[in-house]
Amino acid sequence: MHSSCAAALLAPWARWAGAALAAGAGASSGAASTPAPGRQAPAPGAAGGEIVLGTSAAFTGPSRGLGNELYRGAMAYFREVNGSGGIGGRRITLKLYDDGYQPDPCVQNTLKLMLEDDVFLLFGYVGTPTVTRVLPMLKKFQEERIYMFFPFTGAQPQREPPYGDFAFNLRASYRQETAGLVENFLATGRRRIAVFYQADAYGRSGWAGVRAALENHGETIAGEATYQRGSRFTGTMRAQVEILQRAAPDAVICVGAYAACAAFARDAIDLGLRVPIANLSFVGSENLVNLLSEGRDDPETYTRWLVNSQVVPSYEDESVPAVREYRELMARHDPQIPEEFLDDPYDPLPQSFVSLEGFVNAKLMCEIFRRFDGEPNRAGLEDAVFSIRDFDLGIGEQVSFGPDRRQGLQRVYYTVVEDGRFVPLTDWNALPA
Amino acid sequence: MKVHKLFQRMRFGIFALFGLIVLSTSLLCIRTVDTELSAEYAANSESIAKTIADASVDILLNRNLATLQSLIDQFLEVQGIRYIYITDETGEFLAHTFVPGIPEAIRESDPFRTEPVERSLPGMGDFLEVSSPILAGVAGTVHLGMDLDLVALKIQRAIGQQVYLISILLVVGILASIWLVNLVARPLAALLAYAVETARHPPEERALVVANEKLLERDDEVGQLARLILYMSRTRPPSGPEALPDPGAARPAA
Repeated sequence: MHSSCAAALLAPWARWAGAALAAGAGASSGAASTPAPGRQAPAPGAAGGEIVLGTSAAFTGPSRGLGNELYRGAMAYFREVNGSGGIGGRRITLKLYDDGYQPDPCVQNTLKLMLEDDVFLLFGYVGTPTVTRVLPMLKKFQEERIYMFFPFTGAQPQREPPYGDFAFNLRASYRQETAGLVENFLATGRRRIAVFYQADAYGRSGWAGVRAALENHGETIAGEATYQRGSRFTGTMRAQVEILQRAAPDAVICVGAYAACAAFARDAIDLGLRVPIANLSFVGSENLVNLLSEGRDDPETYTRWLVNSQVVPSYEDESVPAVREYRELMARHDPQIPEEFLDDPYDPLPQSFVSLEGFVNAKLMCEIFRRFDGEPNRAGLEDAVFSIRDFDLGIGEQVSFGPDRRQGLQRVYYTVVEDGRFVPLTDWNALPA
Repeated sequence: MKVHKLFQRMRFGIFALFGLIVLSTSLLCIRTVDTELSAEYAANSESIAKTIADASVDILLNRNLATLQSLIDQFLEVQGIRYIYITDETGEFLAHTFVPGIPEAIRESDPFRTEPVERSLPGMGDFLEVSSPILAGVAGTVHLGMDLDLVALKIQRAIGQQVYLISILLVVGILASIWLVNLVARPLAALLAYAVETARHPPEERALVVANEKLLERDDEVGQLARLILYMSRTRPPSGPEALPDPGAARPAA
């Protein structure tokens, strides 16, 4: 791919250098390593003894908990695989870049991953505004067959034309999450649904999901308010709460990240907007609850109003085989965030929905690599994915892919907070009013 | 140095002339910059609105609102653009960039209007809103708000730079004119002093008055007058003006 003669001559050295860099932790960050020059090899990023996956995610900033935990969950599985000899003798390594959940850095990182680092595929991206901006690049370089695998977003752009062919999704979509929330709220008589959302592509995607679901039932959005991406918990959301209070909603669906959604929930309850506050899976549930309950005499003051949709089962449910495996491998490997991303101290979560999603993403990724007879190559990648039919990932739902099915899982789980932990929501009528 | 009446008038004339030039140039500059820049910002805004409208057609027809939002978010990075919103053919808001919410004034406005309009939004400022229909209006309308305060600031800055330059030229011009006038005034004052000193003495003592050597050495009209006074002080007055000698021929040896 875009290689010169000089780059081809340097390829053996570059391959050796890349392997040496990755040999330590199984992951290398862009901030710390020298990018390998492009090389003309039959399977870029998967030649020799390793398969290099490229990641751009939020490792810093107000949403870093998402990137960090997704990475940790994936690394727990990859390390286990690498420790067992890899896949066909090949280790899985991640080339990491931080984008801080901002589109422009994400685009730059992706260019580096594709053109300089020559990764095999893109894996574990975080966020809709970031992924949405990267998708046109995948189309631009479509002859290189660089696919994006399992981004941490349920938005539609990577599920539909014109970019749907360049991405593979595992998680359920925001459309499915919001539809489930709306239907359950409507079924329990909560007809006035308001939306609090991030003013960007992610927020719009969730907003559109709520709008479409309400439309199916002859309803419209009762009220809406937005916030700026990157807002922190220490900021105020009173203006947004006041806007929604005027709409007198029966429930509010939040489409945001944990810091802003926690600030909204706090201000909503404080100002008397006491209705169920639903959040989508992207929010980062544990970080949300931690912010809302830390240092409070009654930790459930705010959290009792939360209803969170999830796209993986509860990490507390050890009856699920993949959850047992996840808990065991997280405890065994306890992956840490590369130091260059730790400007501020970060306390990793022992378990979380986000890291469990990262874990199952990695597990399926490895299964796809196992479908290759020999050295993985981009040309055969799509066929390898499509060979996944009714595959048991161990989470109670069979995974299938095909030319018209580029999303592996469909199920949405609903949870509430009890004693500071997320438990399955069994009775929607029991929600506080 | 004392300013003589003759030169006071000259300086006043110079100041007045320069002032008039600066004032008229500044006024013309302010008017031109204001008009041109305002028109340019408005034209740019309309071009951007049309670009978004053209780029939105497929996205809207596919009902891909996340991509639509991503599109308008990118245009929000253009300096001066403070808000963008897109309404569909029914007037419903499909995407917007307002935080914390859509202002009432915009909710209540005509979503199909495509003529530019000036808006004052509480808490946000003053805006020039331009609009462009999507697919001739059957798919919706793009509305874009250009921050008039920012435009005004830009215009003020551009005008300020022009006026600053003109003011510098004014000061330089005045200083130069003062220097030039002084160049003439200084020898004339010396000549006058010499003439007065000569006149104070009786005719028989005038030859004793010490002349300013530098004045006598000048090869201009002042030097000629000084030499003439020197000559007249050393000779008896002639019986008639026709008897006066050529003052240029009376230059003493240096």
